[in-house]
Amino acid sequence: MEILVKRRHLLAATGLAALSTVMSPLKAEAQTSANLAMIGEPQSLDPMASTADLVSLIMQHVYEPLYTFDAQWGVKPMLAADMPKMSADGKTYAIEIRKGVKLHNGRELDAEDVVASLKRWLEMTPRGKSLSKSITSLSAKGTHSIEIVLSDVQPALLAHLALPSGFAGIMAKESIATPLVEFIGTGPYKFRERKPDQYVVLVKFDGYAARSEAASGYAGKREAKIDELRFIPVPNANTRVEGILAGQYHFADQLPVEANKKVSGSGNASGVLTMPYGFPYFPTNTKQGPMMDLKIRQAFQMALNQEEILLAGFGDPKFFSLAAEHFPKGSPFFSDAGKDKYSKGDAAGAKKLLADAKYDGTPIRILNSKQYDFHHRMALVMAEQLKAAGFAVTLDVVDWATLVQRRADPAAWDIYITHSAFLPEPMLSPPQLGDGAPGWWKTPAKDAALAAFNAEPDAAKRGQLWGKVQQVVYDEVPYIRAGNFAALSGLSNQMKGYAPMPWPSFWNVSLSK
Amino acid sequence: MWDFFWRRLTGLIVVMALVATLVFFLTRLAPGDPAALMLGDQASAADIAALRAVYGLDQPLLVQFGLWLKEILKGNLGQSIFLQRPVTQALLERAEPTFFLALFSVLIAALIGIPAGIVSAVWRGRLVDQIVSALAMLSANIPSFWLGLLFIQFFAVKWHLFPVAGYGDPGAPLLERLRHLVLPATVLGLVNSALITRFTRASMLDILSEDFIRTARSKGLAEGVVVWRHAFGNALIPVITVVGLTAALLVGGAIVTETVFGLPGIGNLVVSAVLRRDYPVIQGALIVVAAIYVLINLAVDLIYAWVDPRVRAQ
Repeated sequence: MEILVKRRHLLAATGLAALSTVMSPLKAEAQTSANLAMIGEPQSLDPMASTADLVSLIMQHVYEPLYTFDAQWGVKPMLAADMPKMSADGKTYAIEIRKGVKLHNGRELDAEDVVASLKRWLEMTPRGKSLSKSITSLSAKGTHSIEIVLSDVQPALLAHLALPSGFAGIMAKESIATPLVEFIGTGPYKFRERKPDQYVVLVKFDGYAARSEAASGYAGKREAKIDELRFIPVPNANTRVEGILAGQYHFADQLPVEANKKVSGSGNASGVLTMPYGFPYFPTNTKQGPMMDLKIRQAFQMALNQEEILLAGFGDPKFFSLAAEHFPKGSPFFSDAGKDKYSKGDAAGAKKLLADAKYDGTPIRILNSKQYDFHHRMALVMAEQLKAAGFAVTLDVVDWATLVQRRADPAAWDIYITHSAFLPEPMLSPPQLGDGAPGWWKTPAKDAALAAFNAEPDAAKRGQLWGKVQQVVYDEVPYIRAGNFAALSGLSNQMKGYAPMPWPSFWNVSLSK
Repeated sequence: MWDFFWRRLTGLIVVMALVATLVFFLTRLAPGDPAALMLGDQASAADIAALRAVYGLDQPLLVQFGLWLKEILKGNLGQSIFLQRPVTQALLERAEPTFFLALFSVLIAALIGIPAGIVSAVWRGRLVDQIVSALAMLSANIPSFWLGLLFIQFFAVKWHLFPVAGYGDPGAPLLERLRHLVLPATVLGLVNSALITRFTRASMLDILSEDFIRTARSKGLAEGVVVWRHAFGNALIPVITVVGLTAALLVGGAIVTETVFGLPGIGNLVVSAVLRRDYPVIQGALIVVAAIYVLINLAVDLIYAWVDPRVRAQ
């Protein structure tokens, strides 16, 4: 009996505690709120502290760059008033900043904010650090203009400033700290709250100063038509699918391609394809092991049938495209150089190359991770194609964290499976085009082709020079680009005005009742 | 009784020391580098090395272990590499959904399992016993993720009775947050009720065949009184054990269920931390979970002593 009485007391106390929490005043609800299901928790909210796409996707609503990309991947001004004035030698950039742009703390943006932000970007981000070696000075020239002086020509400078990954976002100089504790930018949304593994909430910035040009890609007029954006981490892909079907989410990022029919057939949501979203690629180890031998790398290239590999990875031709060219038609970098070496699927030809190379049967280790399911499925088909061509193959299946560590060790792998987002400028990806990236590709042909490409400021001439780099990639096989793939997102029928881009953005998007 | 308590408490300290050592070294034995993961594809080896130095990952392993133990003894679980906040804060932020999920799941499991076990034992061999045993077998073998997806499909997507996932919108009051736990708690309750049913049934069958039960019946006591007061009271110890163990497991985080229902609980935190190699979070969370597990076991032992004078006497 005594036990029962005590239990009742305990229950009553628990009930009272619960009731007091329940009765606490509710926060005021925003007029319109969009629930956006993301693939996970962002690594950080500092767009310079991480190159993760998720960080950029969220924080591009808060911070804006000087330049950005339009729908055709052309560079267009955003916080810059116009395109820069360049000196004749291509080494000095004079950039005017737009006047009347308000920061989220109410102060007007000036050149000091831009210089402080860009200096931080140059110090913190991998791309910024690499670029900083070529920067002689970066300074404010008056209240609304800056000057960048380079020691050598950097034709990709504006693309670097525009790319949302490892983002050169402009922040209020007084908020700059490491780590960032205040997120004060100029974007159409301002930061309100982050609860790790629950949500990041951004709210409409009423003082936003939009550009007057028509919206195109990330460029032009931006308008916050939804009052509150909630980025919700939902790592389980099936849960993202069910959430969009049930109407709990207005947008669900990166759904499994098998869900397309289910989502589009539901009547209350549709599947949206972003194409090209990215490209799978397979770096080879040119420093150690059997793939050091050029002929063996060429045999690897000759053995591959990319259509079978992409089919294994993405299931339906709707979600991928074969592409020998590294940049699509319409891009200044479109070239079909090396096309004859793409997707040959020629096992006999590969065997002959292996014989010429006196391949001794050392197993080729394909490092891959099931964390990206399509990586592993592609690796399985690749292994069979290589075996058919006479390679001995072992599949090293590890989690992504292990793969990232092992790929830095030349003794640990021969080929690894990875992918990159589609990026409009050749020098942005894959990292094997630079120095020191896993694979450690460094040859005179590479250096000569890239030196010519990187020294040419004229955009039209750069296009032709890229063709020569692409040809060297096909000749020397430092990596094999499989083709392009699409991302599938789920979009509620309530959401209007969404334009698919690799980093989904939600300005100019509205919610119908 | 106090002697019993202190003996258990000493054991707890030894267990925690072993757990701390194992957790630290097992975590570090796994390949993977949090700095490389944080910085991404474009980071140079120098960038990665610099970030490793910031978090002390460049120190020899034994030095790292010593520093970590020193901080643990001061009550500091460290700073999350990924979340950029103290591990204690990260755990506290996730304690609420995990606590309520464990509480409701155990309640549901016990409310289903104990009556079902009693009914099954009292009517042993009858149709009701066979039905209960079959259902218990079924629920013990249903994977929780599958049952979770099935519940989502019907109760959330088709009938819109409950949310699919998450733990409420920003600013959601407690009742709204708890509504998000109905489906996951029911799934876990159903799955865990099987074990409780079977233990209750087995324990009740043992007791019901004892001489004192026959004596009670021969005295003319009503069957309800025999079953409830004489049999169930004495059958309670194994049932308390299994309910306690279920609670302890669930407080550690129902990893699969939390993932399927997108609940920001401790299980989800640990899984994410493992994938990100966020060592301080993995170590801190496992230490706390182990401590809770051991404390619940201690509580179960104390309850034994409380409900059974024979245990006290030992």
